[in-house]
Amino acid sequence: MTPIVQVSGLSKSFTRGSETIKVLDNLNLEVPRGQFMALMGPSGSGKTTLLNLIAGLDSPSAGSIVVGDKDIAKMSEAELARWRTRHVGFVFQFYHLLPVLTAYENVELPLLLLPLSASDRKRQVLTALDLVGLSGRMNHRPGQLSGGQQQRVGIARAMVTDPTLIVADEPTGDLDSKSAEEILNLLVELKKSLEKTIIMVTHDPKAALYAERVLHLEKGRLVQEVLNAPLAPVAMAT
Amino acid sequence: MFWEQLDGRLLPLVQTPRDTLTVSLIEFLFAFCVLGAIAILPRSVFYGGLILKNLWRNRIRTFLTGFATIVLVLVVTLVWTVLVFLANVTSEKANNLKAIVTERWQIPSQMPYSYAARLTEGAPREPGDVRIDSSRDSMTWAFFGATLDPQNRTRENSLFFFAMEPDRFLTMMDGIDEMKPDEIEAVRAGIAQMEQDVTKVIIGSEKLKAMNKRVGESIKVSGLNYQGIDLEMTICAEFPEGRYGQSALMSRERLNRSLDEYERKNRKPHPQANKNLNLVWLRVPDTATFQQVERQITTSPEFKSPAVKIETASSGVAGFLDAYKDMLWGLQWILVPFILATMSLIIAMAISIGVRERRKEIAVLKVLGFRPVQILILVLGEALFVGGICGFIGSAGTIAYFNHYLGGFKFPIAFFPIFLIPNDAYWWGPAIGVGTALAGSLTPSLSACNIRVSEVFSRIS
Repeated sequence: MTPIVQVSGLSKSFTRGSETIKVLDNLNLEVPRGQFMALMGPSGSGKTTLLNLIAGLDSPSAGSIVVGDKDIAKMSEAELARWRTRHVGFVFQFYHLLPVLTAYENVELPLLLLPLSASDRKRQVLTALDLVGLSGRMNHRPGQLSGGQQQRVGIARAMVTDPTLIVADEPTGDLDSKSAEEILNLLVELKKSLEKTIIMVTHDPKAALYAERVLHLEKGRLVQEVLNAPLAPVAMAT
Repeated sequence: MFWEQLDGRLLPLVQTPRDTLTVSLIEFLFAFCVLGAIAILPRSVFYGGLILKNLWRNRIRTFLTGFATIVLVLVVTLVWTVLVFLANVTSEKANNLKAIVTERWQIPSQMPYSYAARLTEGAPREPGDVRIDSSRDSMTWAFFGATLDPQNRTRENSLFFFAMEPDRFLTMMDGIDEMKPDEIEAVRAGIAQMEQDVTKVIIGSEKLKAMNKRVGESIKVSGLNYQGIDLEMTICAEFPEGRYGQSALMSRERLNRSLDEYERKNRKPHPQANKNLNLVWLRVPDTATFQQVERQITTSPEFKSPAVKIETASSGVAGFLDAYKDMLWGLQWILVPFILATMSLIIAMAISIGVRERRKEIAVLKVLGFRPVQILILVLGEALFVGGICGFIGSAGTIAYFNHYLGGFKFPIAFFPIFLIPNDAYWWGPAIGVGTALAGSLTPSLSACNIRVSEVFSRIS
């Protein structure tokens, strides 16, 4: 499969006082189009930093990140913002829905940045909510939804622009096992039916079982790669 | 020269708010709002909705910020009302000028009434001199202070008459346009009675209330500055509340007759008999005519003892207001800037707290692809909305309460007892609100734009 993400010689350092902390060290990685990949590793191993860099939320200290045919490491902040709108859907651990907006309005948010008519926006939002099984709750505010439902809204918001890439940072980290299972099955379904490329950061080995490919990071380096069996919605062992 | 005397006397005294809030600033604010509106027009429902929802989310904070804005706009509006009014009356007009003739060396001015006939014509001596139509474009004033009870004089039972030609009241006095048509008609009817019967007087409604008198009643007053002149009068009409609410009008002829009668009775003239002309007002069409009349009067040998001076009304008022110069300066340059700075700080605090509370949400918007300028619109929009709306409520409320409910803002200064809030105040409030909101929210808005997403989420995780 053609790689949708190509990371070459990627390094990222942070400076704290006089100390420089190297979080990612000369990392190389390719993610084929349509792959569901999990990033695992201990805290501080650099997995969230890698995810942020691939999603265009941060800039690398060195190296290149090509997503599609664009080297996003060379983009300005404004260019990255525009690029993210069209090409990346982000699923957060704590959902991060805007509490003053309904589920419908939260999902509609990214579409407001695109040149779409109101009717097109509505169709997209309804399709996305239908896909995550929340058509009946579209007028509810986040506070009126359970954690699992909020995360579904988060997933609908991530995919409503039909992005090239969906990145998920511990999407089940704040959920009970039943809701986590539903969310992971939903991601698998998205990958299968819409052929979305998904990169998920997780601590949970059970969650990683849902991914086709699992990469382990330690101290900013890739230390292990595991290929799982072909994807099928599975039940999580409790 | 007259203009040299004027220079440095008027200009430092009062500057209008237009000077303070310079035109360029207003234009900048206007352009900013228009460009902002155009920028968000395609998504105005979304931006407007989100702004309103965010404000509604913290109702108490929004209410308190708005309330503070309304109160401060009210204070600024009242201060500016006084400053604008005084600026207007002290600024020179090019046409339709009013000139005041007074005694040159003494305050209060006291001239012999024998000056009146020539002064009201502009004292023309030679062919080609300007002759003022004294039956239309001039009036004489004598101030007749009196009390209803000379043994027990109080503020309530004392009153102050303009002794003048009654028919000039409506044609030459200032502030007539502040009266309603029916009020003007009532005063006109009263003036007609005064011309028939010199014992008739018109008294301000507030003064009537204080004296517990009504139109139609007769009163007997004893002169305060004209000791020994006791007059019986009939109240034939009243001035409405406002500029002349505390004043009273009597016929000049009545004062003249009573002075003559005093002389007959006492076989000697009244001590004030030769100094009962306090002011002469002249109306001239333009500056050139004024300068000509000024030359005629100041060079005339008829007015040497006592000597007289002539100046424009605005110059005269400015001279009178010299006593209040420091207070007006303080109002303009200390009180108003302090209030504006306080408003900015209040809005800055409210917006800063809001931005701090919503760092995560702003970061999420950035993740979704919102650009810094769009974040700026959302955050600034909240401040501008509160500032603009509450500014308008503040100024419109001030107009409604003071003009329509109280009949004016009572702030006795010089001989101006009351001030009406000008209609310009309708835009002062929104302009003050938007301007201070912009100043106060710029820093927190920029900090919201510069939120680094990776930092926000790394803190969360």
